[in-house]
Amino acid sequence: MRRFSRRSLLGFLGAAVCARPGYSLGSDQFKLGITPVFLDNDANLLDTLGTALSEASGFTVEFEQRRTYEEVTGLLLQGAVDAAWLCGFPFLQHQDAFSLLAVPVWHGQPLYQSYLIVGASDTATTLDDLKGAAHAFSDPDSNSGYLMTVTDLVRAGETPTDFFSRSIFTYGHRNVVRAVAAGLVRSGSVDGYVWEVLATEEPDLTRRTKVIAKSEWVGFPPFCARKERMSEPRIRAFQKALLTLVEQRTGKQALDLLQLDGMALGEPDLYAGIAARMRELEALR
Amino acid sequence: MRPVLKRLPLTARVALVAAGLMVLLGIVASQQVLRTLGLVQTERIRELATTHVEALSVALGPLVLRNDVWEVYDTLERAASASSKGRIAFTAVSDASGQVLAASDPFRAPTGSPFDALAQEAQALAGLNFSGSQATIRLTAPLVFQGRRVGRIATELNVADLVAERARVARLLVLWNALVTGGLALVGFFAMRRMMAPVTLLAEKMSVSAEAPEPITDRELLSMESEFGRLARTYNTMANAVREKAEAERRLAERERFVSLGRLSSSLAHEINNPLGGLLNATDTIQTYADNPEVVRKSTELLERGLRHLRDVVRVTLEQNRIDRAGSPAGPDDFEDLQLLIGPEIRRRAQKLVWEIEVDQVTLARFPSAQLRQILLNLLLNACSAAGQGGEVSLRATEEETGLRLRVVDSGPGLDDAARQRLLSSDPVPPGGGVGLRLVHDLVHDMNGKIEVQRTSSANAIELVLPYAKEVDN
Repeated sequence: MRRFSRRSLLGFLGAAVCARPGYSLGSDQFKLGITPVFLDNDANLLDTLGTALSEASGFTVEFEQRRTYEEVTGLLLQGAVDAAWLCGFPFLQHQDAFSLLAVPVWHGQPLYQSYLIVGASDTATTLDDLKGAAHAFSDPDSNSGYLMTVTDLVRAGETPTDFFSRSIFTYGHRNVVRAVAAGLVRSGSVDGYVWEVLATEEPDLTRRTKVIAKSEWVGFPPFCARKERMSEPRIRAFQKALLTLVEQRTGKQALDLLQLDGMALGEPDLYAGIAARMRELEALR
Repeated sequence: MRPVLKRLPLTARVALVAAGLMVLLGIVASQQVLRTLGLVQTERIRELATTHVEALSVALGPLVLRNDVWEVYDTLERAASASSKGRIAFTAVSDASGQVLAASDPFRAPTGSPFDALAQEAQALAGLNFSGSQATIRLTAPLVFQGRRVGRIATELNVADLVAERARVARLLVLWNALVTGGLALVGFFAMRRMMAPVTLLAEKMSVSAEAPEPITDRELLSMESEFGRLARTYNTMANAVREKAEAERRLAERERFVSLGRLSSSLAHEINNPLGGLLNATDTIQTYADNPEVVRKSTELLERGLRHLRDVVRVTLEQNRIDRAGSPAGPDDFEDLQLLIGPEIRRRAQKLVWEIEVDQVTLARFPSAQLRQILLNLLLNACSAAGQGGEVSLRATEEETGLRLRVVDSGPGLDDAARQRLLSSDPVPPGGGVGLRLVHDLVHDMNGKIEVQRTSSANAIELVLPYAKEVDN
């Protein structure tokens, strides 16, 4: 209920902010778009991250939280937010409009995997075993929570609609784990980083699931801004804040909560693996 | 049960009846309380379930329309975890086609499974009834959104706490009623005992002595109020009357001892007076012929015989009423004395006396002298009086195995009813008539003897059988 209220409140605030036109140039506020695809259930984490980024950038960093990547991507495209923490997939979809600000470093690399999970007692060991099952994706614009599994199916000559009896979108990696753990669906596609963090934070939840397949390592979901604004001082200041987060006390706290090592400058090449899968999917259409 | 109840003292019975009524009242009151509690709980559950279903309808309506499995599940799960006391145990939602869209426990109701299986044994929200002892209540209700039915909701409410509350209330009621009833019954018992105390006292006083009930003392009377006070005073009046009557009877009986002697007095006076003339003549003769030794000797002999006779008469008379004779055994002397006592009466009426004593001294010694004399003297005097002038009176005493048989017969007309009643019954009798007969009856009764009256055409017989007393055997 607490989470629900907070999300409603944030949604309301977001809607109010959205109603204001144009950029917020010259304002002390810096708006960062995020989605519940990420770990959105920890208010303490968001507070700490917001404080750390505010301290480092000199702006008041506010989060604009939306349900889907599509919505957040839309906000960034409209300029309703100054920057957004996106997934590699939507970044690549709008590569002409977006530039990379920073890429989180996890276990020493700016990379992560997609996990295919099933219930803890499930007998399936491969994706093939899940034919006819109900499956949970996190977001149609998520790399790890959708693209990876779908392209795996395409490679096997299947489509998600035919392969799975039913597929649902939970718009949250944690929700995918919840859906699988509760038995609402048999399997799910989930961000490997999120699953690993949950395994330490909410072991009771992940214990009811098990990972049966892991994808190749691909570029970690990046922080993006509009390409033409990259030279703006406030964007540069925010980028600097991201990159130096590890050097600040609050920043280090936030990174510890996120179980990240820090942030690094990223090149689009980092997302070549995702781009390749995107092309496979495009070819099919 | 009934005889046991009847054997109990009245105080205990009244207290028991009061306690029984209290128990009955307690049961009825408890039933009422439990029924009301049940109604209140049902209303509470219905309100809760209505709110639950309405809230879900509002929240789930658009999600069900969109067939959004995840959001329906997420909403149900959050609603369940947010419900207080885990009231909502399970909820499932179906789409319009009757398939489960999502349930709070998907393992139990998987998405796509038929919803009807869940709706079975479920109550409709409208007619909700909560009376059983199950820990959960199953409910089903249509899911209405924007005025149309988009699916159905089945929910299980956890009512274990309410059931437990009802059980607890029932236990407390039983315990409380038992305590109150027990306490009041105890109070009732003591109150009843206190109130009934005068009756108990009265019963005790009455049972002290059947012959002379003991009156209630003034001090005891003080503690009695109203009806019991009046009752006690009436009882005292009656008790005193009984005592006075008993006292009067005792005095009467005492007097009767002397009645026989009184009746003898005139004949005894004659018995003494008649020889006196002869005796005085003898003294004259002695004075006149003082110098004639022969005459003096004869006169002196005459004088001596006369005086001896007088002495005997006086002795017998004295003997008859000597109190210290009580307890001394009877003997042949007693019969001789009786004959001497009755002799003047027989002679005065010119009657014939038949005297047959066939009892030896040892047998007679087993009976008390004074009583035997009183009994026989009275019967003989009555016989003389009944036989009339020139009549016949007889006494026959014989030994039996069981005791001494005494038979007094006279040629008179027999006993009238009043006399017969005096002799034969122990009932109180009006004074007068049959003098001495009640004394005979009492004495025979005290000796455990039997009295029989026989009447033939010419004679009237009274027969007594006096059993041997055991103490005399020793």
